[in-house]
Amino acid sequence: MLKKKGIEPGAGQATYEGRDAFMKACLEAAASQFALDGASFYEFDEKSGLLRLRLRHAFGVTFEHEENLRPAPGSAAARSLESLEAATSKGPGGSFLYSPFRFDYCDPSGGRGVVPCFGLVRLERSPRKRGFTKAESAKADAYLRSFLRDYYKAEFFSLNRKYEKNVSAITELTEVFATALRMGDSFKHILSGIQTYFGFDRVRLYLIDEKNRKLKGELSADIRGQVKSISYEEIPLEAGAHRFADIVLGRSSGAFMERYKDCVLYMPLAVQGVTIGLLIVDNLLSQQRIEPQELAMLKSFGGQIALAVDNSRLFDKVEELSLYDELTKLPLRRYFNQRFQEEFYRAERFKQPLAMIWADIDFFKEVNDTYGHQIGDKVLKEAGRVILSNLRKIDFPCRYGGDEIVILLPQATGLEAQRLAQRLSSELAELRIPVPFSTARELRVTMSIGVSTFPQDASTMDSLLEKADDALYWVKSHGRGKIALYSEIAEEKKQAEPAGGTTNAPAK
Amino acid sequence: MLIWLLSDYDHRKHLAFKGLLGRFSAAYPDVHAEFAVKSRRSLWESLFAHLRDPKRNPLADVIEIPQNWTELFARLGLLSELSSGLEALAQRRYPEFVLKELCRTEDTRAYSAPWWLEAPALYYRPQALKGAVQDPEKELASWEGFRAALDRIRPPSRKDNYRALSVPGSSGSVSVFDVLPRVWGRRGGLFSDDFNRATFNREETLGGVEDWLELAVHGKIELFSGDRLENGQQPADDCAFMISGRKLPGAARQGLKLLPYPGYPSGGGLLLVHNLGVSASTRDHGSAAAFVAWAMEPRNAASFAESFGAFPCLKPAFEERLREERETGVYRRLFSAPELMPNIMVYPTAELLLERVLWNLSLKIARNDYEREDLTREMIMAQGEADYLLSLY
Repeated sequence: MLKKKGIEPGAGQATYEGRDAFMKACLEAAASQFALDGASFYEFDEKSGLLRLRLRHAFGVTFEHEENLRPAPGSAAARSLESLEAATSKGPGGSFLYSPFRFDYCDPSGGRGVVPCFGLVRLERSPRKRGFTKAESAKADAYLRSFLRDYYKAEFFSLNRKYEKNVSAITELTEVFATALRMGDSFKHILSGIQTYFGFDRVRLYLIDEKNRKLKGELSADIRGQVKSISYEEIPLEAGAHRFADIVLGRSSGAFMERYKDCVLYMPLAVQGVTIGLLIVDNLLSQQRIEPQELAMLKSFGGQIALAVDNSRLFDKVEELSLYDELTKLPLRRYFNQRFQEEFYRAERFKQPLAMIWADIDFFKEVNDTYGHQIGDKVLKEAGRVILSNLRKIDFPCRYGGDEIVILLPQATGLEAQRLAQRLSSELAELRIPVPFSTARELRVTMSIGVSTFPQDASTMDSLLEKADDALYWVKSHGRGKIALYSEIAEEKKQAEPAGGTTNAPAK
Repeated sequence: MLIWLLSDYDHRKHLAFKGLLGRFSAAYPDVHAEFAVKSRRSLWESLFAHLRDPKRNPLADVIEIPQNWTELFARLGLLSELSSGLEALAQRRYPEFVLKELCRTEDTRAYSAPWWLEAPALYYRPQALKGAVQDPEKELASWEGFRAALDRIRPPSRKDNYRALSVPGSSGSVSVFDVLPRVWGRRGGLFSDDFNRATFNREETLGGVEDWLELAVHGKIELFSGDRLENGQQPADDCAFMISGRKLPGAARQGLKLLPYPGYPSGGGLLLVHNLGVSASTRDHGSAAAFVAWAMEPRNAASFAESFGAFPCLKPAFEERLREERETGVYRRLFSAPELMPNIMVYPTAELLLERVLWNLSLKIARNDYEREDLTREMIMAQGEADYLLSLY
């Protein structure tokens, strides 16, 4: 908007919020000052020789319009651009005055060069009206030239806005990358940070899976800042397999890349010379050019992004090692205790059932003693696989110690837990563990399982665990390979006891 | 309340809107309404700028958009749902061919309201065709007939600026809106019917683009016309043919006659529909919705569209205009099998890809270094990009 500081908008008297506001003020002021039927603001592209219409004012309305015209050689417009002097013409279309401008300003991308700002303002009168006299032309040209001095200020305003944005990006992105390590979802945080400050149509992150020689999709953030997983994208890391693979392998080239260079940036992420992934930012949907200064800035963040991504990945790996059992891939007891507390609290608060399964592989010590620890490990690994493949997302298993496995089943009743236990038991019983050196050639295993439920069997965490253990003990003491619900064995025990008995649980 | 209006080569539209807004302000004195006219490119950039940084780049409250931008910007969350609050949409008071494309995926929900439409057609001056065309209706029905007529027409003496063909909406280069009617006429398109793949390089599409480029190569249309800079739009009496989607002012007086766009064997034609949308982030949804509802009243919609020679989209106003139209026979043929730009998410971007192809080729033609292979190469590239886009969105 125009901020008036003097009586008349003109040279050195006003500041404008950017280029568009300046052009509008310039055309409207000239139209009223010189009784015009129209006024147009053109920018000149020296490379193509085309005048590009930026803004036009006619019949009391200011409007943008797309128009690219080439001044005919020797025409008034061409003469005006060549000499940088005003020129007039009169024809069937009316009378025209061309007032050129040309000045240079510093390269906003920070380069040492200057960016020329070159064009002309065309003042128009319809054929019915008088043309521009020499004196009037000189006056109008002087007026426009004085006005155009403010164009510099308008450009400066735009550049200043960009500069402010860049400073804020540098400050806040550095913070994002530095703290990414401590974030649970650090990749998401990094992508959101890039998206927020650069505003690309999309940002995508791919990481190299060295073991499987693949480039695997991780996350994608869209222009609205929504982040989604792209883990379904897997690209073989072989030359020619895919454009992304070629880029990571340093073999990309060709016309297609050249075509994309204005609206896509492929940024391989490398730490200590080793490529760990690929960050892709694009403006493919909007087809808008990524500004060179934005490209330069993002590239300068490349090292930090790579380091942050690598740190997050290592952090996740360390966390995984400390929370999960490497053999069975089940969470360890420390992690389980934390989740058990949370789930129990939730069950109590929302008055929902919570079931607990306590399972034990039958004769596991004998397996180890007879066939060795290698076979024992195989049994545990298979048991872990069977359990993980049968659980709901909200269920939480744990290798509680040795061959003991505990599973927490939020919102599950005793019967539902029993059904799951039955499924696990059947699948495990069907397994054949190869034992090449034994006469039987294979080993079969079974599981004993005890089940307890909150609030039916227990009202505290400790007693829920204890009751599941009691049920398991009952199975073990009654032939193994079965499933027992604490509520059922307690009832059975109660009936078996003489009247006036004091215990309400099976004895160990 | 701020309204963004799409710019038009015909200043009558801007003036008509100024008048319309004046009448709205009189009817709603409590609403302060102003408008800004944006070019298609600038509107596109402003919408994306808002998505990138909503605080620094606020949207107008009401936005005029090409109908086939609706799906994209609705999915990007920029447009409010209108069908529940706008009677014209709720009662489906639009021609079926307009609604069918607007609500492509859903039957009822609509994120913009159809406002006005135009159908590119061929104006000709019977006097100028003397000796070149015997039976205009028959000979100019096909592209080949039209093309041959262009070759046969000789400029009258003492008319330096005379051109056989004038395209008043041209921006200087060959544009998407120049070539698409011809591409459609050849039964080509930018995507396959199921929208699973891009078809830029299909023979029909390539041929349609080439037909138009060939006009520029042989000087039948002038690119980046310097004459326009010196003399403004070419007057209608300086040409034998004119391709325009608008009813020309004084066409009858000047002896101009109308025919469907050449080369549409089915008798239909490509329609360009423009809609009004309400920004999802407007702080004054009440005023914005009131304006759209008011603009859609039959009297207002009809007078606005009529002011610049377009058709209102509202069914009663559209049908009335069709009844009263002098060239009603031609328009009835055009609207008998109308075809609209697909309102799918990637279509506006595909148009930009084609626009870039046409820009590059226009520059080459103007430099006299265009070859047929340039077209093939550019279209292969654009097809690759469009296919990639389809896989992403």
